[in-house]
Amino acid sequence: MNDIIFDLKNVQFSYLGKFPALCGVDMTIRSGEKIAVIGANGTGKSTLLQLLDGLIFPDHGHVTAFGEKLLENSHVDEKTAHRFRKRVGLVFQNADIQLFCPSVREDIAFGPLQLGVAEEEVDRRIQEVAQVLDIQHLLERVPHQLSIGEKRRVAIASVLAIDPDVYLFDEPTAGLDPLTVRHIIDFIVHANRLGKTIITATHDLHIIGEIADTVYVFDRNKRIVRGGATQTVLNDRSLLEANNLIHIHQHHHNGKEHVHQHLPLEPHD
Amino acid sequence: MSNPVHKKSDFIERSILSALAFLKDATLSEEYANRKGLLQSLDPRFKTISFFAFLVTAVSLKNVVLIGTLYGLCLLLAFLSSIPVRHFLVRTLLFIPLFSLCIVLPTLFSIVTPGEAVWSFNILGISAVITRPGFDGALLFVVRIATSVSLVVLLSLTTRHSELLKVLRVFGVPPIFVLTVSMSYRYLYLFATMVENIFTAVKSRVGVVSHQRHGQNIVAWNIANTWNRTTQMSEEVYMAMLSRGYTGEPRLLSAFQATPKDWVWLLGAVIICASLFYRGYTL
Ligand SMILES: Nc1ncnc2c1ncn2[C@@H]1O[C@H](COP(=O)(O)OP(=O)(O)O)[C@@H](O)[C@H]1O
Ligand SMILES: [Mg+2]
Repeated sequence: MNDIIFDLKNVQFSYLGKFPALCGVDMTIRSGEKIAVIGANGTGKSTLLQLLDGLIFPDHGHVTAFGEKLLENSHVDEKTAHRFRKRVGLVFQNADIQLFCPSVREDIAFGPLQLGVAEEEVDRRIQEVAQVLDIQHLLERVPHQLSIGEKRRVAIASVLAIDPDVYLFDEPTAGLDPLTVRHIIDFIVHANRLGKTIITATHDLHIIGEIADTVYVFDRNKRIVRGGATQTVLNDRSLLEANNLIHIHQHHHNGKEHVHQHLPLEPHD
Repeated sequence: MSNPVHKKSDFIERSILSALAFLKDATLSEEYANRKGLLQSLDPRFKTISFFAFLVTAVSLKNVVLIGTLYGLCLLLAFLSSIPVRHFLVRTLLFIPLFSLCIVLPTLFSIVTPGEAVWSFNILGISAVITRPGFDGALLFVVRIATSVSLVVLLSLTTRHSELLKVLRVFGVPPIFVLTVSMSYRYLYLFATMVENIFTAVKSRVGVVSHQRHGQNIVAWNIANTWNRTTQMSEEVYMAMLSRGYTGEPRLLSAFQATPKDWVWLLGAVIICASLFYRGYTL
């Protein structure tokens, strides 16, 4: 039983007390799992990841992480805060938000330095992480002047440098070219093989076959309508269609008009 | 009727856009700081100290030729740091006259600074006389301003702003202040980009901003909205910091590596300043 990492019971959250963002979510996430949270825009995916990262706290219900409830005041003490931050890393949806240091090098160093890692070790990690994500040539650049793909890789590097047990990815492949998407999927799969727990929020159905074993579908009511094995969920066309995750396409094939659904797992021709 | 209106709004729009582009390129781009050259190769701490010494020298000297020497040195350093000297001159000299003439102009004339006449002329029946002391004083002032501005621009052109910020920290400025400056800088950049994008977006939606009123309303609304977005962004950045272990006292990388070259440079700078001071004293 102690391999449960996150346990959510009837979690409800609203912004400023009046904009509901999650309306009763139950979820159990175990160590080493690959999870995807899918849903159209505005269904509460980012909110969920921020709750899991202990950045915001539920109005009702509770989030338990590593056997302890996440509460507003549980991270006041630096030691407890750091213990949690070392275990959980969040790659934000907006890389411009995540990268706030004057140079890529300092952004990668920020996490480990806050967490008390010695400078020589931080330098070693910068080199290692830069190599893994192929950003050695960007280390002295200003983060906000990079391309979106470069920013995303730097954002991942800044979390990888902390070397957490749990990775939370918020739409990691949105707006990227196919090659960069490939790199990021490979990174996620590899991290999971090393025993890391991966939770990804996305609406890109093409990638979840690889990055998730279990999928939770969020609907417009900001609740989980369905959770299950990736294949089973992907095969439920009507569910996906009802939740704006697939749509019907019109195509020309050999000069003839023809209507079919967007197939999540097959490349689109 | 509609033509002149177009011209005018185009002109204003173009000047705003080019001002923004200049702001971004001139102060926020790091093109020259990333080039290979003499100043780029120096330790930022040593570079900052030496430039500070040059600056103090330029401001204290009272001899045009001596300050001119410093100015020549500045241009030489720009050349050795792969900065096109013409570009450098344009960038610095363009706004110096504007700035200094306003202050200097009145002191040229005999009413303000009496003395031997250099040049006299009549404007609208009022005779004006430019005096020797007035002229000398103005020349000294302009050269001094030109040199100081050039020194500051040269330092900022050849040093990445991350390094300048680090120098602040080495000189004892608290990390939280440095982080704040660095973030304001970043917001400035994002803000400039956003306003630029909004202009383009408005233009593509409203055509060539033909309905003046409509266009202006959208711009006004967007600027307010941009401001909201910026403040919301700062809350989110705070979360991003928390997420990576920030607990109120930022810890940043420190190490600078000084080489013998930096010490040679510093020694050279001190000798130059000292001899200029000595010349100025004995003249
Ligand atoms: N800062 C905020 N203030 C008010 N409402 C917000 C804020 N952030 C998100 N919301 C609302 O919360 C809901 C869920 O948003 P979010 O978690 O960002 O969804 P997703 O990531 O799935 O697109 C949306 O209805 C959104 O409008
Ligand atoms: Mg989101």
